[in-house]
Amino acid sequence: MVRNVRGNPRRIRSLVVLRAILTTVVLLFSLASAYGDEADTLRSSRVVSVKSYPVVKPAETVRLDDFPAPPEMVADVIRRFTGVQVKDYGGAGGLKTVNVRSLGSEHVGIFIDGIKIDNAQNMQVDLGRFSTRGISSVALYNSRKSSRMQTAAEYSAGASVHLDTDRPRHRDGCGGVFRLRGGSFASVNPSLQWDHELGPVTLRASAEFLYNNGKYKYPFFDTTLVRENGDIRSLRLETQLFAAPRGGDIRLRIYAYGSERGFPGPVIRRAMGFPLSAERQADQNFFVQGSWTQDWGERYSTALRLKYANDYIHYNTHPENNPMALPYDLHYRQQSAFLSLSQSVLIAESFAIDLAADVQRNSLDSDAGQFVTPRRTTANGALSARFSLEDFRAEANISYIGAWDRFKTPDAGGWSMKDSFRGAWMPSISVYAAPAKWLEADLFAKYTCRLPSFNDLYYSLIGNSALKPEYAAQFGADVSLSAETAHWNGILRLSPYYNRVTNKILAIPTASQFRWSMLNIGKADITGLDVKIENNFTAGQFNAQLTLRYTLQKALNLSDQESISWKNQLPYIPLHSGSADLTLGWRKWQLGWNTILNGKRWSNSANLDEFLLAPWSVTDISLSKTFSLKPFRGRSAPSEITVSANCNNIFNCRYEIVKGYPMPGVNAFLSVEYRL
Amino acid sequence: MKNYGFILLCAILLMASCKKDDSNQDKSDGKGYEVITDDHLSGTVLAVDAFPESIRKVFILNQGKMGSNGASLDILRTKDGNYVCGIFKKMNPDEGAGLGDVGNDIAVLGDEIWIVVNNSGIVDVISARNEREIAAITVPTPRCIAFDEKYAYVTSWAGASYGGSSNPKGRVYRIDIATKKVIDSVEVGHQPEGLAAYGGKLFVANSGGLTLPPDYSYDKDLSIIDTRTFTVSSTLEVAPNLQKVYSDGKGRIYVSTYCDYASINSALYAIDGKEPEEAVLLGEYASITAMHGGTVYCIGNKKELDWTADPEWTSWKCSGGVKSDWNPGFDSSVSPYSIGALSEDLFLIGDAGNYEEPGTVYCYSKGSKLWSVTSGVIPGAYAAW
Repeated sequence: MVRNVRGNPRRIRSLVVLRAILTTVVLLFSLASAYGDEADTLRSSRVVSVKSYPVVKPAETVRLDDFPAPPEMVADVIRRFTGVQVKDYGGAGGLKTVNVRSLGSEHVGIFIDGIKIDNAQNMQVDLGRFSTRGISSVALYNSRKSSRMQTAAEYSAGASVHLDTDRPRHRDGCGGVFRLRGGSFASVNPSLQWDHELGPVTLRASAEFLYNNGKYKYPFFDTTLVRENGDIRSLRLETQLFAAPRGGDIRLRIYAYGSERGFPGPVIRRAMGFPLSAERQADQNFFVQGSWTQDWGERYSTALRLKYANDYIHYNTHPENNPMALPYDLHYRQQSAFLSLSQSVLIAESFAIDLAADVQRNSLDSDAGQFVTPRRTTANGALSARFSLEDFRAEANISYIGAWDRFKTPDAGGWSMKDSFRGAWMPSISVYAAPAKWLEADLFAKYTCRLPSFNDLYYSLIGNSALKPEYAAQFGADVSLSAETAHWNGILRLSPYYNRVTNKILAIPTASQFRWSMLNIGKADITGLDVKIENNFTAGQFNAQLTLRYTLQKALNLSDQESISWKNQLPYIPLHSGSADLTLGWRKWQLGWNTILNGKRWSNSANLDEFLLAPWSVTDISLSKTFSLKPFRGRSAPSEITVSANCNNIFNCRYEIVKGYPMPGVNAFLSVEYRL
Repeated sequence: MKNYGFILLCAILLMASCKKDDSNQDKSDGKGYEVITDDHLSGTVLAVDAFPESIRKVFILNQGKMGSNGASLDILRTKDGNYVCGIFKKMNPDEGAGLGDVGNDIAVLGDEIWIVVNNSGIVDVISARNEREIAAITVPTPRCIAFDEKYAYVTSWAGASYGGSSNPKGRVYRIDIATKKVIDSVEVGHQPEGLAAYGGKLFVANSGGLTLPPDYSYDKDLSIIDTRTFTVSSTLEVAPNLQKVYSDGKGRIYVSTYCDYASINSALYAIDGKEPEEAVLLGEYASITAMHGGTVYCIGNKKELDWTADPEWTSWKCSGGVKSDWNPGFDSSVSPYSIGALSEDLFLIGDAGNYEEPGTVYCYSKGSKLWSVTSGVIPGAYAAW
């Protein structure tokens, strides 16, 4: 069932890339020393500090404040980005994963305030679990976030999505946001957030509850049915601490999330009287993470980060409610501990060396039948050289990941170290140049891998402990042209890219979203072009932003020349996709329009008509008005009430992103937010 | 009501087609599609010279990937050698959802084809002449089917799970062939699979493949049901993970077992159908089996316990309780998933490929390959009419 592509040519190629990287690093050193001598004379005019400038721009970055009514889930923010496919199983409780430039969602690192969300069980992060409440910005990096003092995990990710929180600031030393939201699917979603400054420390506490019954109509051939067993209840409780000692930044976040949800299951022919699914899952996710970034004088800085996460899942198919259910009542507990130290040495104003080292420990325990208990210790290191002038910047880095696994099978009592070690070198380079004020360009080449997940390796009966890491070689360019007049500025970005994924492990959910069938596709060749046009108009109290995005992606399966799927488009990757975002603001009114277009794609690696999924287009609109109120008693800052309404899928488009999982038709929400 | 009318319509049309006796004149039922035969549908044309004259059609049931609603039925029409994919959908356009999810077993009963659609909870009865649906019978999680004179028997994994037990037992459902209605069911062992009827008894293989904590053990028992009282009269221990049961019609019952994925290989056992007292091991490596004319044909993988190793295929047959050599003629490029035995030297072998994309059906006659054709996803069961 699982086919591995073995081959030494890849290793040779990686050595060639490695040599190129090392040469570049040496070149950068010599360049830097040359500039270092001149640094004093150049500093005022041409040199910008490498400390504050990232080498390349993010592919996408949005501030959630800019939305008239921000999308509820991080997944809904990301799905409009270029080059991105969000796989969505529909409904508030449905799995949502993000795939960047067809690398596969396992290659995408999701970072909260610089620390990766980890899932060794299946290497995928369900973005449906992350609400946009309390997040300040969402950014996507195709190459990498080339700022100083990243964790080594950031260097090893194929693409990264960063969810960042700003340090709260209030004129009165404290302040909060209270919001009530509700609407379609009987959804109720209250949230609150309170910030308090206590001397040098700012504390934030937030809470959010969500109920959604997940019921919506969908067409099933000649009839219309209602999606059942898609309800969710969730509660998120968080506290954060922010402190800024001189030259430093300290953050601590304690996060607890609990949910109980139904999986409505794929829509299939089912005998009358039998439900499609009675599967339910309860989750408890807890993590505590801290970071301490400190400048030790002008030239040396460190960042210390740590995290402990404990994720518990109880999955039950409830055969007593569904005679069709295969009886499962399983408990999983996943734990991870993470420690990272990053150092940055400023050798010259324009040149810095970064060194990052992470260690991580993962474990997964379960009472599932024939469960193989895995443990993994990962060491991840990265060395990076960054060079920065105002109009020319470059970075070269190399990271190494080594993972030691051991596992215990139920039959053979002791720990097995079979196929225990996996290691990989991952080099990358990026160069940025701005030859004119209106023209910026960057280039990157990057070679990364993702480790096989615990499910890939040890899942009973379908796991394969001999799996190798899956490699992604990426080459990308980005040309950005900008222009502006008194009332308008615009940016056109063209980003062609070429990716090759080798040793590819593809996991596709079976009838139950919780179990995965393995498909080792082997090799994929992805050529694409992202186009993005941004426009901003301002005239007096009127402002407008129009962003158009288009992605052309040819993602070909090169696994097996004999196969029917040879050179076919990878499943779920449309050739054409795009989005349009329009935001209009007038005084305290804001109107938002978002249309997403997705071309035809196939649900199967064989591109036959019977597996064709129809193109779809969905339009969401939102309207909000902010009312300023007098300052609350004893406060100096005015308080505000924002009323917003969203109507999603206004044209009631019937569509499926994942085959068998219909998406909701038109739905609407109203929210009232009080900010003081 | 709609169903009755539909059955009536089919019955009338069937009678009409019987009278015309294979004339090539197709008639429309007014909905714009022909219903008397499927002769108007064409597909890949294959050489069928080696096929015995008694076979009019071969039905190939493709499981489809679980959850994809992708079960499909292919036919090979020996009259003109056409291999037509997805014929159920083509001949039943009003059954929009197609056959359903996971086609697990198929059997011929006169001019009817009974198809067990596992994850849809449906046993679908279609006409062998035109694949039009005659009845859809509800059975929870049905697995395999067998017949005696009056009844169809279907094994089911889920029937007993209402009891709240953490280790539910399965059932055998009894369906009246004439009325196509479930009339009774009886509890057997864990996750029953194959079954066969002989001499007033039903022999039911219990796999136990889903046994839950704390047991984690496969079922080893064959349940023997007395068809007069429709109760389990006795059980017989065979080996772990029982799969298929065949009756050679002369008093011998064959039972195949899967491996336990740890230490015990798949195997074939024989049992005396008149006085079932002990199971005699006939040979190992029998994970893929089929019966034709009282002979069981077996294909097995000698490396079945180590799924990281390349498979090492072996094949053999068993007749009259005696094991002998059999070489259907496939080479190492084929990964067998299923066998259809059409005569003593004509076999179809299904290769499920990566279980995701459409598979391949190979035809072998007298030890050499005749042809291969692209089937649906996971070709798993065969029936000749």
